[in-house]
Amino acid sequence: MSTEATNAPKIKLVTSDNAEMEVDRQVAERSILIKNLLEDLGGDNDEAIPIPNVNEAVMKKVLEWCEHHRNDPPASQDDDSDSRKKSTDIDEWDQKFMQVDQEMLFEIILAANYLDIKALLDVGCKTVANMIKGKSPDEIRKTFNIQNDFTPEEEEQIRRENEWAEDR
Amino acid sequence: MSGPAFTDLPTEVLEAIFLHLDPPSLFALSQSNRLIKQLTTDSPIIWRHLCRTSFTTWAPQHNIAAKFAGPLPAVNWRALYIRKKRIEHETRRLLDHVLATQHERIRCINGIAEFGYDAKETLLRECACPDDAEDVLARRYYANAALERIHREMAINVWKDVQDGKDVSIDRALGAYDMFARGGEDVDFDLMSEDLDRLANGLLSEHPDFRELSTRAKASTLASYLRDQGFQGVPDTSYRALRNSFIGLVLRSPTHQSLPLISVALFCALAQRVGLDARPCGFLFHVYCLVYAPERHSLDGEYKPSSSGPLDSMYLDPFRSSDEVRQADLLRVLRDMGVPTTDHQTFLSDTTTREMVLRTARNIMNSVQTIRQTQGGVHGISAAWLDAYPDMDNAFYSTIWAMLMLGPGDEGTPGSIQQVSSRRRQYLPYLLEHFQTHFAWDVALLEQYVIPLFYTQPEGQRLLQFVQSMHQIDTLRRPLLRRSARARNVEFKIGQLFRHKRYHYEGVITGWDTSCDAGEEWIQNMGVDRLPGGREQAFYHVLVHDKSVRYVAAENIEPMATGALPSAAIMKLAGRHFKRWDDASHTFVSNLRDEYPDD
Repeated sequence: MSTEATNAPKIKLVTSDNAEMEVDRQVAERSILIKNLLEDLGGDNDEAIPIPNVNEAVMKKVLEWCEHHRNDPPASQDDDSDSRKKSTDIDEWDQKFMQVDQEMLFEIILAANYLDIKALLDVGCKTVANMIKGKSPDEIRKTFNIQNDFTPEEEEQIRRENEWAEDR
Repeated sequence: MSGPAFTDLPTEVLEAIFLHLDPPSLFALSQSNRLIKQLTTDSPIIWRHLCRTSFTTWAPQHNIAAKFAGPLPAVNWRALYIRKKRIEHETRRLLDHVLATQHERIRCINGIAEFGYDAKETLLRECACPDDAEDVLARRYYANAALERIHREMAINVWKDVQDGKDVSIDRALGAYDMFARGGEDVDFDLMSEDLDRLANGLLSEHPDFRELSTRAKASTLASYLRDQGFQGVPDTSYRALRNSFIGLVLRSPTHQSLPLISVALFCALAQRVGLDARPCGFLFHVYCLVYAPERHSLDGEYKPSSSGPLDSMYLDPFRSSDEVRQADLLRVLRDMGVPTTDHQTFLSDTTTREMVLRTARNIMNSVQTIRQTQGGVHGISAAWLDAYPDMDNAFYSTIWAMLMLGPGDEGTPGSIQQVSSRRRQYLPYLLEHFQTHFAWDVALLEQYVIPLFYTQPEGQRLLQFVQSMHQIDTLRRPLLRRSARARNVEFKIGQLFRHKRYHYEGVITGWDTSCDAGEEWIQNMGVDRLPGGREQAFYHVLVHDKSVRYVAAENIEPMATGALPSAAIMKLAGRHFKRWDDASHTFVSNLRDEYPDD
């Protein structure tokens, strides 16, 4: 933990597997869910906040990300994800951070979604998108262990349906 | 593995991932599994996102800005995306057909044109194909041709609206000339309108109290503002320049040089945007601007409750200055020129948008005439068209269409079809000649917009037959001309660059006959039999750098020396018949193999 944080106010979290974690309030507040909870509880509060959907290992990763991004400007409230400029560029630190096994990647995404950390969710989604880009349906199935539940006839039909969409 | 799998992610998270994908990846993903296919197909947010990010030009009937601004479920975005994609493919398919063979070109180009602006972005992409594309010249030429055809139809529709008495703004009515003559570039009614909006907003932010000013103060503020922005008419030396008559070009050019008519049109277009009633006044040899005070108000803003007469008005000449012009001075000019008193009111009152369009047509014709007269070479063969901007043939063609759609002059009984048609009739030969030479595919425009004007006339029937025969010829494959023993005397090949031995113009061979195949009358008129080689030598169809198409005896063909490159003018025209220039063989690569397979 950096020195500037030593005197910062702390809070306690309890994960789904009953691990208690102490963390700077500013860091934890990257999570809109936690921020709102703290506001609702009001004033100084020593009680540990239960996070029943996230286990310790995942929470550690999430907090590591929050720590690194503790001074980022808060996410804008603009929720029109459709109009935002879409790009799968990810900054270097985040890229390294996301080099985890697939199970952990999905856990982080689910935690970010649950804890309402937009920027982390976004990085997670971009990472998954980059794993899909340029791959064939079969390669995608292999990458994510997705079961092919189409009949051969259906597959042929879908292929024909999508012919118009293929770029030259 | 017990952790979450891809398909376990909540729908909103999957959607967020989908939104980061390019269309091909998204389609690959959708083919991986039933659930995922369902999710991608049923998510309107993805399809709207794709519509927004995949396309840039939309035909007006989509009303796309309103759709994007409206509620998400109001539109079937997936169907719209698929429709746009199909148009993209169909446009490319039709263009490839045009590039592959000479027959059905009219059908294919008009097929593309029917998509209108929906095809524009695809055509712009094809116009920008790489320099080393195998058929670069042809591809650019015909993509541009189709785009110009689309733009011309939009312009014609604007003039049709003017003729039908619909409310058409002056910038749109005159901007149609930009659309018509500068079609290949990124010219657009919306862009011109945005330029004007920007100027209007600039005026309002420079003068926040503008709307409180009196009419007189508003008029002079607007006139000064325009002059400050660089709109200062044009010096005498370049008065006749073709570019001065194109409002969109004037808005975009660094010097903003314009004829008085365009200066006034700009003033009126801006006035309309900032709540000032300004109209053009068609004076003798000059266009002034008439500015009107609101009802029951004086030009200085006084309230006149009892006034019920005509609106108070003043004259301006934004072309020359921002000062008010006194009516007395205008009257003196009319008297000095000997205009009868009874006609004075005509020259002093405001005129119609239609009249401004026709006056612009005459200005453009004058400019084209000037270029032709001053720059014609010794034998009348020069590439002056290359230096003139906008393209002078396109500009001339635009005026013929404007004249045909709007009819000349106001004299005569309005509404008399007989009379309108007889006056329009004089433009028909120019139109037919021009489009046959340069844009045969405009036959569809002739069919749709010109023939109805002549239904009751003898021309109507003749035009209809002419149109039908053009469509008929378009469906036919060209007869093959092989290099058999009979063609032994045909020395030069399709694509050969040459100089005419006697007239010295540059040209390229686009066809050949083993002997002169022209009619007897032409042979007599041209004195073919007086040539040393006579009529029995090979004859060549050629494309000349002045855009003309000629028929030349073999003895007059002087092949260009190896190392001499084709001129810029020839390079611009060559795409009509050739794929590209080939340095190694020093010829153009033929795109006429369906007719001359061995060349």
